[in-house]
Amino acid sequence: MDRFKIFLLPPVYLAFGILFLMLITFVLNSLPIFEREGIAIYTTNIWKASEEPENEFYGILAAIYGTIYTSIIAIVIALPVSIGLAIFVIDIAPKKFRELLVILTDMMAGLPTIIYGIWGVFILSQIISKIMIFLYENFSIFPLFSYRNPTGFSFLTAGILLAIMVTPFATALIREAYAAIPQIYKEAAHSLALTRYEVTKLLLGYIKPAIVAGTLLAFGRAVGETVAVSLVVGNSFNIHPSFFAPGYTISSLIANQFGNAFAYTYMPYALFAAGLALFFIGLIVNIAGVIVLRRWKYG
Amino acid sequence: MNAIEIERLWVKYGNMEVLKGIDLEIPKNICFAIMGPSGCGKSTLLKAINRLLELNPDTKISGDIRLFGESVFKMDVTKVRREIGMVFQLPNPFPHMSIYDNIAFAAKCNKIAKNKKELDELVIWTLKKAALYDEVKDRLKSKASQLSGGQMQRLCIARALALKPKVLLMDEPTANLDPIAAGKIEELIHELKREYTIIIVTHSPAQAARIADLVAFIYLGKVVEVGEVNEVFERPKHELTEKYVTGRMG
Amino acid sequence: MVRELKNKLFILYLLASAVLILLPLAHILYSVFAYGLPVLIDRGLEFLTSALPAPNRPGGGIFPALFGTFLMVSLSSLFGVPLAILAGTFIAEYPKSVISNLARTLMLIMLEFPTILVGLFVMIILVIPMGTFSALAGSIALAIVMLPYVTTYTEQAMRSVPENFKEGAYALGLRKFRVVFSVTMKMAKRGILTGLLIGTAKVAGETAPLIFTAGITWRTTGGINEPTGAIPIWIYYLIQQPYANYHEIAWGAALILMLIFLAIFLPVRLMMVRT
Repeated sequence: MDRFKIFLLPPVYLAFGILFLMLITFVLNSLPIFEREGIAIYTTNIWKASEEPENEFYGILAAIYGTIYTSIIAIVIALPVSIGLAIFVIDIAPKKFRELLVILTDMMAGLPTIIYGIWGVFILSQIISKIMIFLYENFSIFPLFSYRNPTGFSFLTAGILLAIMVTPFATALIREAYAAIPQIYKEAAHSLALTRYEVTKLLLGYIKPAIVAGTLLAFGRAVGETVAVSLVVGNSFNIHPSFFAPGYTISSLIANQFGNAFAYTYMPYALFAAGLALFFIGLIVNIAGVIVLRRWKYG
Repeated sequence: MNAIEIERLWVKYGNMEVLKGIDLEIPKNICFAIMGPSGCGKSTLLKAINRLLELNPDTKISGDIRLFGESVFKMDVTKVRREIGMVFQLPNPFPHMSIYDNIAFAAKCNKIAKNKKELDELVIWTLKKAALYDEVKDRLKSKASQLSGGQMQRLCIARALALKPKVLLMDEPTANLDPIAAGKIEELIHELKREYTIIIVTHSPAQAARIADLVAFIYLGKVVEVGEVNEVFERPKHELTEKYVTGRMG
Repeated sequence: MVRELKNKLFILYLLASAVLILLPLAHILYSVFAYGLPVLIDRGLEFLTSALPAPNRPGGGIFPALFGTFLMVSLSSLFGVPLAILAGTFIAEYPKSVISNLARTLMLIMLEFPTILVGLFVMIILVIPMGTFSALAGSIALAIVMLPYVTTYTEQAMRSVPENFKEGAYALGLRKFRVVFSVTMKMAKRGILTGLLIGTAKVAGETAPLIFTAGITWRTTGGINEPTGAIPIWIYYLIQQPYANYHEIAWGAALILMLIFLAIFLPVRLMMVRT
């Protein structure tokens, strides 16, 4: 091994070290709550703080539910829009606008999330609140609309805000893959007397792994987003099927509760256990996305 | 009636003129070769016939191309491409789809077959016509990317035939194949020209001599000479043709 | 007939997708200007030079936040950039090694990792031992967030330097160390700079990593061992206050943040277009 390699290795090891240290930190700081409650920390919906440690009991099921619920809403909206925008930019938009649209979407992908948050609080939630009131008053027989919520802070608001936030990112991935399809396949598809819709359907099949990876990575982003979500999700321990109900996500729970957590004995550990869950969800989804992308590029 | 008639065809990419007034008459059920040095517009001419040039918005086309008397520019473009199929220089079966789906997809969209049974029969029929069936009959559902180059090209021919076209355009179909695979394709063309009109761009005078009935020689975007293969090769009327045929021009 | 209808509906879907996402994005940009610009114009330069006013009192500004952001972004670059460049160089120069492949995957995974977890981690290893929130802790958290960005850009930039330049340098008898630092890195300068700027733009806008590391300060500038404000954190807390003037300041701060972001992002992005 040459000296140069030896010189460069420590920074690389440091990078690995940070990740492993993070994992260990979270595990160690979750142990006390596992010892005390076992799996109940994840499977129950309780948040009982107390001056007396014996009376504390925590369960973050509501937060896990909220994380998954809002992220699914986000993906359900973001996926078709991301694909549609990608195709629009490549196939429909006039050439002069293409670069502009690309720069605009890249810019929105990098925009500080707190800006999405402030818009979400003062503008999006007001709009959603009016829609919610209307739908509740007229269609509350549907479970999805069956929660009365005049504030507009809800799973739905969070989901929509997340969708707006992850779409620029997902569409960039899909767009680049779509643009890179070799011309010979586009020509072949057109020469087979297919309509634009049919040609696109065929070509999307060609880049399916990119779409899958984009979905996974977008889901990972939605799951990990903290400030924008915590400002609009309502921050309440609530497991309810309605869009309109307020709730918690793991990240917003941590952000919201850590302030007063040190006043209690077990709350910090409970929040670390929540962080551990988020750590693994984020890790699994991101690894899956990277693997799908890797295998496609080198397959 | 001629299968294809090309009248005063001009094609410009942006400011560059690629075809400068092409006039050709291509009778039906023959193999018509288009030859000429590289870059003189042969592929462009082929892609003009099935209106594939329209994929590039910078292209300007004037003149007329008629399919059995009807102008292709007045027809619905999907109808044009149903009647006129294409096989490309680089074999391009869709690699993410199975052999079966490669053939079936467009046939289904264009309603060539009306149900699953007809579709199955159509796929088998085209594979037999393309002399590929025996080699792949046990693995119709496997991915097209697993075939060899020659097999891929025959799959592309089957795929084009599935739309029951009247004319087949072939853009240097054997250029990327080894001699044995190329030979198989040439045999195929011999068979197919009895039922279809085949227009083939080729770089090889020898190949044209082997499989074509008529040949047109294109130079710098214009038709220099047209005639029966034997005539043009043995008694070329034009100096440029003679240079090309005898290999002094590439 | 149905075929043609499906095709038309498809085009409609494409248009609708574009509108559905571009409209909110445009509205976000518009809102930040519409609500933030009046605040800036109203208070003028004072907005950038004074501290947070009392609730519902006129005037005041975001200077502590501005200071904190610049302090922590600079410090995080100091910590993170050299580390990232070295790591990226390793991955680029020894691409076949197992460690390289793992490191590359690691960086891709860390790109989208929940940043609040990074904040919690730094809280445990730094804030609690130190007994205080600090700009140092915030900077380290930001450095960890920045690391994957600068590393991957560095790696790509180094790898895209044409082989013949490197071969020429080796042929002159230079050792690997010299070749990498004097030749390859100089030629990859642009790409590395891009990565650095993108990483900076990213961390300048991050909120979550700072919540449990930098803490917050409203009237002082804080310091390396003291709680420090930052623009995103200020916005996050000001929104949650009930006072109208704090909301105004939040919008003004949001505009400032967006301008800072655009000032870094746009030149970098436009530079990438020309290549």
